Amino acid sequence: MITRRTLLGAAAAASLATRASAAGQVVVATWGGDYGELLTRNVEKPLLTPVGIEAVQDLGSQDARKTKLIAEKVSRRGSLDVVHLSDTDMYQMAQAGVFEDVDLPAVPNAANIIKGLRRPYSIPHILSAQVILYNPDKIEAPKGFADLWNPKYKGRVAIPDLNYPAVTFGSAIAGGGGMSNWQPAKKMLLDLKKNEPKIYPSHEQLAQALKAEEVWITPMWLARGFMWRKAGIKLAHAVPEEGAIPVVFEAAVPKNARNKAHAWAYLNAMLDPQAQLGFADRMGYVPTVTNATLPAEIAGQIGFTPAEQEKFRVPDYSYQAKVLPEILDFWNKEFKA
Amino acid sequence: MPALILPATLLVLLMMVAPMVLLFRYSLNLYSPTELMIEAFTARNYLSAVTDSYYREVMGTTLQVAFFSTLIALTAGFPAAYALARMRGRWKAWLTLLTVFPLMVGNVVRAAGWMTLLGNTGVVNAGLRATGLLSGPVQLMYTPGAVVAGIVTVVLPYMILTLSSVIEGIPRNVEEAAQNMGARPFTVFRRIIFPLALPGVVAGSALVFILCMNAYATPVLLGGAQFKMMAPAVYDQFVRTTNWPFGAALAFILLAVTLGLTVAGSALLQRRYRR
Repeated sequence: MITRRTLLGAAAAASLATRASAAGQVVVATWGGDYGELLTRNVEKPLLTPVGIEAVQDLGSQDARKTKLIAEKVSRRGSLDVVHLSDTDMYQMAQAGVFEDVDLPAVPNAANIIKGLRRPYSIPHILSAQVILYNPDKIEAPKGFADLWNPKYKGRVAIPDLNYPAVTFGSAIAGGGGMSNWQPAKKMLLDLKKNEPKIYPSHEQLAQALKAEEVWITPMWLARGFMWRKAGIKLAHAVPEEGAIPVVFEAAVPKNARNKAHAWAYLNAMLDPQAQLGFADRMGYVPTVTNATLPAEIAGQIGFTPAEQEKFRVPDYSYQAKVLPEILDFWNKEFKA
Repeated sequence: MPALILPATLLVLLMMVAPMVLLFRYSLNLYSPTELMIEAFTARNYLSAVTDSYYREVMGTTLQVAFFSTLIALTAGFPAAYALARMRGRWKAWLTLLTVFPLMVGNVVRAAGWMTLLGNTGVVNAGLRATGLLSGPVQLMYTPGAVVAGIVTVVLPYMILTLSSVIEGIPRNVEEAAQNMGARPFTVFRRIIFPLALPGVVAGSALVFILCMNAYATPVLLGGAQFKMMAPAVYDQFVRTTNWPFGAALAFILLAVTLGLTVAGSALLQRRYRR
């Protein structure tokens, strides 16, 4: 029979158990699938297990992680030690004040981070950028974003609904604006509607349409293009001459993390050059540290030349965070209408 | 006796009512892109949702889809439910199992099936082309029709099972008596079966209407990016802009409209056929 005392005893034992195992543990909130698996193979097993740190992955969607961070904001002891988010979301959460500033002495590999990617609240892990993917059988190599407006491609332009921020800023640049001025995108996107773009609710559906050659040209992360090409879709890519918008996947440590020392060790391991290269071949993302060099045969497919990197249009995160709700409103109510 | 309902009540209070109360409180807060949620006590989110023509349109689409899907499910489900209710023996168990069969795959998986059927290179288009009826593909995916078709297949089992359990309770000899007195089959249906099955019609339609109003995966995957229903719009606010207050307000508006129409619709149907 269960009495109050046995219940209390069981609860105490359980809490002791979690505390004991927490000594060598680090809870990492991250994506499942390829990403989580590559973390285990390249970061956790070779670099953390040998020093006695046991990583526990808390797999879920990015939205679930953000929700957890917001919900736990006021708790003294959170449930996550390391959180992975895309750059835009990371900035938003950092503004909400949930992250510790990166403890640089505890993350020595941070010294090798590419200059433009350094932030006080997070480390960059992997990188790609928005390029123009196209079907080389159907059209000539495009030069930049402006090619989407080419009337020859009427009905053949694909737009990924999920990437509305990058597509909007790409359009803003094509229309004379920039990463700190999205206004020109309005006219540009409304003009684009005359070209009857097909807007896809998921990247997978867009890939299907590219494969079936229903659409020929689309703005998309190069990493995705690389994976689709590997999956047999006929695709080439062009880095926009006006500069590509990068996307960075980052890691940070919440202020209420229970195991900060291990969390910093985890971040440091993520920046290890060998670990970084492990993500290139399978997922098509580029390292974020200067001391990791991609093998030449992959570099041409997923990498960016120094000149292209120089021209990267890095988001103005503070501006973007402010205008994103406005952009989504426009996107839903006018562009997609 | 009251102790018996305690576990279920506690569970509902904890898992349903408490989060709803919290969500309602959030809907009165304000949103800022940088601070996310600011404590407040205002009806502004509700006002801006109601006055915004975009959200009125989204609600209009949702209502239309829910109404037509419910109507189709009722029309198609009634004969099937009648047949199932009047069936005896081994076949009945098998057919009941077959009826629930569509519910054994998730919404997303089912939508994926529809995508392979309706896509421009899908089965339907390929079939039409093979017979020479068409030269180019017809757009079937990303249309309201695809959404209604997708939703109806999800909700049809609910309608059939609810209706057939009520029809089973209608004594066969009532029908026979009407037939003996010279009523034609349609008259039997109109004057005898339908009025007696009305509780099932009301319950089934209410259940199905509620499911349709809250559909998420089907409209997103089959309706495409330009087709907006309420549930995806709520999700957009929560996830894409982290605007919990506005998302919560939209959710409560959806809840209120669904509840109001379900209650009003049931009352109307019942009054109409009470005579």
